[in-house]
Amino acid sequence: MSKPLEVLLLDDEPIVGRRLKPALVKIGCRVEVFENPREAVARIGQKEFDIVVTDIRMEEMDGLQVFKHVQEKWPRTKVIMITGYAKIDLAREAMGKGVFDFIAKPFRPDDLRQIIANAAEALGAPIDFSSMGDELVEA
Amino acid sequence: MDMHITDIKNPEINHENDPENMSLHERPSISIRAKVAISFSLFFILSFTVTGWSYWILTKLETKIDFLEIADNYMAEIQQARRFEKNYLLYSTDLEEALEHLKTADAILKQKNEQIEKILEKEHFKTMVTYMSKYHNQLVLLRSAKNDKEKELIVPMLRQFGSQMVSFAGEFVEKEQISAKRMFLLAKRVPLYFMSVLFVLMSFVLMFLARQLLLTLNRFMEYTKRIGEGDFSPILPARKYKDEFTKLAEAFNHMIKELDHKHNVLLESHKLRAIGTLVAGVAHELNNPLNNTLLTASMLTEDFHTLSEEEKMEMVNDVINETERAQRVVKNLLDFAREGETAIAPLEIGKIVEDSTRLVVNQVKFAKVNLELNCETNLPRIHGDEQKLKQVFVNLILNAVDVLTPGGQIRIHVQKDQTPGYVLVTVKDNGPGIPEHIQGRIFDPFFTTKAQSKGTGLGLSVSQGIIKKLGGYIHLTSNPDKGTIFTVSLPTTESASEIMSK
Ligand SMILES: Nc1ncnc2c1ncn2[C@@H]1O[C@H](COP(=O)(O)OP(=O)(O)OP(=O)(O)O)[C@@H](O)[C@H]1O
Ligand SMILES: [Mg+2]
Repeated sequence: MSKPLEVLLLDDEPIVGRRLKPALVKIGCRVEVFENPREAVARIGQKEFDIVVTDIRMEEMDGLQVFKHVQEKWPRTKVIMITGYAKIDLAREAMGKGVFDFIAKPFRPDDLRQIIANAAEALGAPIDFSSMGDELVEA
Repeated sequence: MDMHITDIKNPEINHENDPENMSLHERPSISIRAKVAISFSLFFILSFTVTGWSYWILTKLETKIDFLEIADNYMAEIQQARRFEKNYLLYSTDLEEALEHLKTADAILKQKNEQIEKILEKEHFKTMVTYMSKYHNQLVLLRSAKNDKEKELIVPMLRQFGSQMVSFAGEFVEKEQISAKRMFLLAKRVPLYFMSVLFVLMSFVLMFLARQLLLTLNRFMEYTKRIGEGDFSPILPARKYKDEFTKLAEAFNHMIKELDHKHNVLLESHKLRAIGTLVAGVAHELNNPLNNTLLTASMLTEDFHTLSEEEKMEMVNDVINETERAQRVVKNLLDFAREGETAIAPLEIGKIVEDSTRLVVNQVKFAKVNLELNCETNLPRIHGDEQKLKQVFVNLILNAVDVLTPGGQIRIHVQKDQTPGYVLVTVKDNGPGIPEHIQGRIFDPFFTTKAQSKGTGLGLSVSQGIIKKLGGYIHLTSNPDKGTIFTVSLPTTESASEIMSK
């Protein structure tokens, strides 16, 4: 296991970041959490993340706009969308545009971990999901 | 046409006993038919009297004329007799002729005695006959007188009786002539009087009936207008008695009841649609607290042994808070969607409007428009049905959301109306406005400019019905460039009771 996966997590619900950060750190990611899309976009402008996880519906700027920023700046970065169930159509459409995957609320931490593992593999830097075996079984 | 007529005649259609018709029915009945019948009988009686009277007077006149004719003959005869009497005294001609004429006169009296008696009355007739017979006796005496001396004695008596006889008859003839003339005059005038009285009476009856019919028809025109505008309160008696229009009013009330029922069905179906729209938003909104709860609970189990007490406590509290948040999200909608009879109660209009904005919060968010609520404090309460009022405001806001593009503005003001006793809610948007040519139709049921799956066109029609029923009004001010303002005015509790009792 070489370099940790750099993950940016954006959701305007604070609890999402609070719970997912430790969950992702456990599988060897380095996570930065944002609640405000503008701040997140600013950060993306500065740093290349391996994976960006963003909510699709937010007050000021929606997930697709964030995705466009990422795509322009870092074409290699994988973007994962969090959606409400009602917006699944929108998410499918987004996938056609190059979004890596989407996950519908409500989800379990493991669901996101699985998608992140898939993304890591697609990036050519697979993470050892099974190293967490013990906890996962418990979960 | 025929079908309608048979419909009306159908004896099964009888709404007398419907509860909404009780007040209509509890009145004495004076039907239009009865009124017409009474007027006609009055005319008939009047005509009959006048005709009968004319007949009577003409018969009377006839007998008078007959009498005058007879009297004329009689007069001629006795005058003739006197002339011969004079001739006899002056020129000593024959007295037979005088007696002859007197005999004829007597014959006339005998022959026509019934007719003459009728007019003269028995007493006068007797006097007349007596005068004549006295004169006759004197004449006979005169004829048999032997010498001039005897004659001299008879002549004064003869003259006296003769002139008495003639003048008595003459007086009567004259009197009868005058009376006949008077009768003629009357008989000539009566038709004229009759005509004028008839004319006055007829114009009066006509005016009275026409006025009543027109007034009632006007009232019914008002009713149809009122019903068209969605006011489904039953017709109350406007007069002190019943007639054929009462049947019409009863039928109207039945129709109003049916319309009200249909209106409620529409109202319910529109509400269901609105709930459908809102549910989509609420379902989405629910995902957030659900997701927060699921993530927190998952991590709590996953890290249960490694977490500090403090962290565990925080996470449990998060679960509680998020569950409550979910409850709040659905509660409002459930309140709105709850089935069953809702009652009219004194309500805080500010709270109703605020609840309505909360119901549509997701739609507002999806559309990326801004909603601003401005509510005056200390407003008087209003009378109303909570759910139905929310339905009105939800529809107004959703209508605005539907026409706004992202960044659009919806401003809602709740304030006192300038008319005392009313509160005012204005919903204003800065959308494209409503073109003038459809402004008159937007309150019509099923009028919509939206795609079939998006709008039924029931919103404003149903809203108007709801507000009208509460004694308020809803109207529109729209300007193609400046957007649309819907104004809802509702009576406060103090004034509502007055309005409802009207
Ligand atoms: N704020 C507004 N701005 C512009 N047009 C409006 C506005 N509000 C209503 N309208 C027009 O009035 C029409 C009738 O509205 P209404 O609420 O009765 O029915 P609807 O919204 O079309 O259907 P529903 O309410 O059943 O979903 C609308 O279709 C729209 O054309
Ligand atoms: Mg509508």
